[in-house]
Amino acid sequence: MKSLRLTIFLLLASTVPYAAQAADLKVPATVTAGNGLSIPTSGSGEASLYVVGPGTAIKKKVQLGQDVQLTADELKNAGRYMVFVDSGDSATFFVTAGPVGSIAFLARPSRVPAATPNVISGTAFVFDKYQNLVMHPEPVKFELDANGMSVSRTETTRNGIAYTKLDSSRKEGAAQFVASSGSASVRRVVQEVASDPCNLRIHAERDKGSILVQTDPIKDCSGNPVPDGTIVTFTSLDAKGKSTVDARIKRGVAQAQLPASSNATISVAAGVVVGNEIRWGGGQ
Amino acid sequence: MKPFLRLAIVVASVAGVMFLLPRHNGDGDHVLAAGRPEVTLNIQNATPRQVEDSTQKAVARDYAAAWQALADALEQNRPDLLGANFVGTAGKKLGETISEQRKAGLHQRFQDKGHHVNAIFYSPEGSAIELQDTAELQIQVLDGDKVLHSEDVTVHYVALLTAAENSWKVRVLEAVPEF
Repeated sequence: MKSLRLTIFLLLASTVPYAAQAADLKVPATVTAGNGLSIPTSGSGEASLYVVGPGTAIKKKVQLGQDVQLTADELKNAGRYMVFVDSGDSATFFVTAGPVGSIAFLARPSRVPAATPNVISGTAFVFDKYQNLVMHPEPVKFELDANGMSVSRTETTRNGIAYTKLDSSRKEGAAQFVASSGSASVRRVVQEVASDPCNLRIHAERDKGSILVQTDPIKDCSGNPVPDGTIVTFTSLDAKGKSTVDARIKRGVAQAQLPASSNATISVAAGVVVGNEIRWGGGQ
Repeated sequence: MKPFLRLAIVVASVAGVMFLLPRHNGDGDHVLAAGRPEVTLNIQNATPRQVEDSTQKAVARDYAAAWQALADALEQNRPDLLGANFVGTAGKKLGETISEQRKAGLHQRFQDKGHHVNAIFYSPEGSAIELQDTAELQIQVLDGDKVLHSEDVTVHYVALLTAAENSWKVRVLEAVPEF
């Protein structure tokens, strides 16, 4: 009787091979994003296979001994993937980014003074068409084009990022700042404006009981007119004390009326720039 | 009261107080708030801009919070838990993961054993920082309460964080084979 029971048990056991027997999973170490993958399995029977990774959580019934197909869409996100079957075997692989498909470009600042060294910074983050950061080195060309004058520099990405610093051009105006890599290109506009005033000069004349002080046309050292609205400060110092008047540049010049004085020293400043001094009085 | 019982009460009380004390060191590069993963952030290799002390502290704090949110969201399959910590590509991909997990009836459980993080890039204008993170994790994939797969692993991540109103948010988080 005992041997009969054992025989029946062995017979029954041999009819249950489909409960997944040793599924040896062989996967490559890395797969490029957007490429499908065929995973060979060994063993026999039906099993559940799981794939868990970034943006992915798949459970599928598979026949052991046959290849399991993962589609390009299932492997589009870069990162680490775990693949395992319910019989216990498992493997991991990485999906890595494909070729450059897009760029995120930070250009700072949006408004800069002309003729200033290393004042414009550009940072490019390169992604593939699935928005995976491209970790392998890629050249990025930065190009600044202002008033027909073009400056370009090529930098190589490290861990998906390239950056540069460029001088602003001598002439004011809207500069086109472009970062490009492969077929991807992004454009930003950097407004270049006149820098600090250069050779700030004033002249004065008597005017109905006061002193009318006016600047020459105010320009930066590259000859760009300093924008209207910029504050210019006029100061008069005499025996009675100090008088200060702030005036805005209007149509390229600034002017102010200072209290009449028989003997005063008049000066002018705009921001950190100090102009000439006039000694007023004694027939001047 | 028996001496053994008294001793047990004293030990339990001390252990309780130790547990409740905030666990920060004085350097500001090491964050282990209650419930948050341990993040050790080294800023010595950051270029082209040097990372300020306040930024170092904020990045370590917010990166730890992001990992806590990630673990909670993937375990509970709740994308709303990601919201404040992840933006852009990282937020979108984690949202997709949760959506796919729900469809498959799965969830993941992370036991976070700490992150050794190097800041490698800090943008000239200070609005973006890139990190290399070596994370010690136990990752479990579950179907309901049943653990389908469990592994203790060291994973290398590259993370890109951008400055928001008053915090740093994770914009890119990708595991890589090596640095």
